[in-house]
Amino acid sequence: MDVLPLLATGFGHLFTPVNLAVLAAGLVLGMLVAVLPGLTLVMGVVLALPFTYKMGVAPALILLTAMYVSGTYGGAITAILFRIPGEPMDVPLIWDGYEMARKGEAALALGWSLVAALVGGLVSAVVMVLLAKPVAGLALAFSTPEFFAIVFFGLASVVTLSQGSLANALISLCLGLLIATVGVDEVYGAERFTFGQPFLQDGVEFLLVMVGAYGIGEVLTRMGTGFAAEGGEAGSGAARFRTAFPSLSSILGMKATFARGTATGIVVGIVPGAGATVSAFVAYGIESQYGKNRAALGSGAAEGIVAAKSAATASVGGALVPLLAMGIPGSGATAIILAAFLLHGIQPGPQVFVANPDLVYTVFATVFAGVIGMCILGYFAIRPLCKVLEAPEAIVSAFVVVFCFVGAFAARNNLSDLNVIAAFGVLGFLFERYGFPIAPLVLGTILGPLAETNFMTTMVSFDNDWTVFFTRPISGGILALAFAGLAWPLAKAVLQRIRASRSAHGQPG
Amino acid sequence: MDNPNPNALRRSLLIAGSTLALAPRLAFAQAKYPSRPVDFIVPWGAGGGADQLARRLGSLIEKDLGVSLPILNIAGATGNTGMTKLLSAPADGHSMAVFIADTLGTLAGGAGRYKLSDLAPLGIMIRQPSGLFVKADAKWKTFDELLAEAKTREIKVGITGFGGPDEMHVVKFNEQGAKFRPVPFAKPGERYSSVLGGHADVVIEQAGDVRSFLDSKQMRPILFYAEQPQVGYEDIALAKKYGVTLAISQFRAIVMRAGTDPKQLAVMAAAMDKAAHSPEFRKYLADELAFADSYIPAAKAGPFMAEQLALIDANMPKKS
Repeated sequence: MDVLPLLATGFGHLFTPVNLAVLAAGLVLGMLVAVLPGLTLVMGVVLALPFTYKMGVAPALILLTAMYVSGTYGGAITAILFRIPGEPMDVPLIWDGYEMARKGEAALALGWSLVAALVGGLVSAVVMVLLAKPVAGLALAFSTPEFFAIVFFGLASVVTLSQGSLANALISLCLGLLIATVGVDEVYGAERFTFGQPFLQDGVEFLLVMVGAYGIGEVLTRMGTGFAAEGGEAGSGAARFRTAFPSLSSILGMKATFARGTATGIVVGIVPGAGATVSAFVAYGIESQYGKNRAALGSGAAEGIVAAKSAATASVGGALVPLLAMGIPGSGATAIILAAFLLHGIQPGPQVFVANPDLVYTVFATVFAGVIGMCILGYFAIRPLCKVLEAPEAIVSAFVVVFCFVGAFAARNNLSDLNVIAAFGVLGFLFERYGFPIAPLVLGTILGPLAETNFMTTMVSFDNDWTVFFTRPISGGILALAFAGLAWPLAKAVLQRIRASRSAHGQPG
Repeated sequence: MDNPNPNALRRSLLIAGSTLALAPRLAFAQAKYPSRPVDFIVPWGAGGGADQLARRLGSLIEKDLGVSLPILNIAGATGNTGMTKLLSAPADGHSMAVFIADTLGTLAGGAGRYKLSDLAPLGIMIRQPSGLFVKADAKWKTFDELLAEAKTREIKVGITGFGGPDEMHVVKFNEQGAKFRPVPFAKPGERYSSVLGGHADVVIEQAGDVRSFLDSKQMRPILFYAEQPQVGYEDIALAKKYGVTLAISQFRAIVMRAGTDPKQLAVMAAAMDKAAHSPEFRKYLADELAFADSYIPAAKAGPFMAEQLALIDANMPKKS
């Protein structure tokens, strides 16, 4: 096997003082853009692209790849500690991570997220190196029906997020899907729900919904209950924790979860168009339907963190496979990395392994070093960040609001976006107040457009024949799993009702 | 921009006030143009064709003019989000934008929020013909074979989106009894993988954009919509051979707002002209497999775009 010497050459290119400095800069920058809720990872990579023009091709690729890797982690910190998902992919971390933090296990939740990122990242890097060429063909097996099926599976995970009322969860999901339809439709160009307002033409950015409903909504809720004078339970909990890492035995006990999350991340990452976000949602959905500890998911179970985070990080290796082996970007960030290749006159594709193997393996080495570097960086960030929770809640909340607004404004420099955020903050508050879960709303706005475009394209492509979703083996299989997951709670409720009525009849009147 | 913020009026009054205060200094500044950075709006994502043009052109012109041209990527609505940004900025010669054929297509039938006459072109910088591409191991050797099969069964063609030149080129053959079905894939990666994965039989593209797939022998061209043969692919058939003379080239122009001081327009147009004739730019055109005579100077760019728009108007597919 000639892979190892090539990889060693790649590390050789990486471990020069200049390239290591670029790697470190990329890791820090990636983490920063991921922490800011409005500034997404893709946008961060876009902003960094112009700075790479004057660099050599190797440092340029190292910088962007390092940003891509660490960008999949930073948002976990804010999601778990403050309930602000820095990136859409971090939304599932809120469901369990923030719950753990509320129980005083913030440091442990962050520790789990680090372990998950490390395992997911490294395993996917190995798969990427060994299988880049053979696995690349897998991406081509997925067409729009399969893509729709994957997204539908992600949407179906809503049943596990209902926290009680399934009806309320479905209402919330449908509202999210409706919000996602605002703007110009992607396939036929029809304007929907724009009310003649130019700022609605481009639709409601899901990040505004996400940041508003979670970040601002949470602050409003806490304001409603009166802020705690000193740090919340979470803060005092953080101080109690000496070690943040989960024990080896508990990690081993969760090996199935790690395997499912990582495998999901790699496969979904390889599919063109789907990236870390879809991976995280789908992995969470799988865990909630097939995990050992599925009943506890959503109430602060470490499995939820591990599934979502390992998948998100594993998607990096997955997405780089079709990019390098075929020149097809598998996600938003890899599209920018492709641009960096092109701007330096190099075309990724089968020939790049022959023509520029040193570059390809430098990218591979960057992923390995990046995953490890990111975890070290994340580890040192945990302690000071947990300390923040010890500050009075009112002050932390004020910073959360500033953070949300700054991040959202930075995204498009548009003042009307701030009004939208505030509006969704109020909606999030009302949801919380009247027992509607926020998660399905956000899920709907993020995955809605993906589901719609792929559904419509399938309809155009297959002459409006909806049966293709079920007759094609991959999409049929995924949809069957999704429907089973949706039907199970309903069937269970019906069964329980029958049983209850039987026992009621049985009771002596 | 409509702004629902009640403070908008107050803010615009403030801006108006500060502009008045700055007026004498601006008048002085205009003595030499440009004396401060000119925003270069790219209404498409970073890394795409429009972006690459802007960055290459920007680096050539910056040296010439001595001011920087910061690039703003404002994607969305087939380029119209970025155009809105250009048209809402003052016509003071400090904003310009890349304007491409797809965006022109959205103005067909007077459908856009603005008209072609609201733009002042500085030049058409690059023109590439569209072509049909198939997977390298596809069974059709020539377009004759493909067209014959298209008359017996439906052939799926990946396009960027409905209503644009892509769709028009493809369905033109349906008038002859072919059954080409355009299927929209907005993201380039999905469009390329659709044909490589066999989910579409054919994809309509510009040769320069799929060059990596051509060089690595994953795709090959089977037809070009152009007046003259594509350089490097002289043996590939042209659509006019089959009676289809429609050939809307994928062009990328640089525009400013109409109403900008003609002196300023002249300065920028001269800079474009100089850049277009530089060896670096010629090499770029060759790398992109574009027409060698792509460049159309400012004076002729307006009529060219009007002519293209008329062509698009005449070929608008009927709404199904």
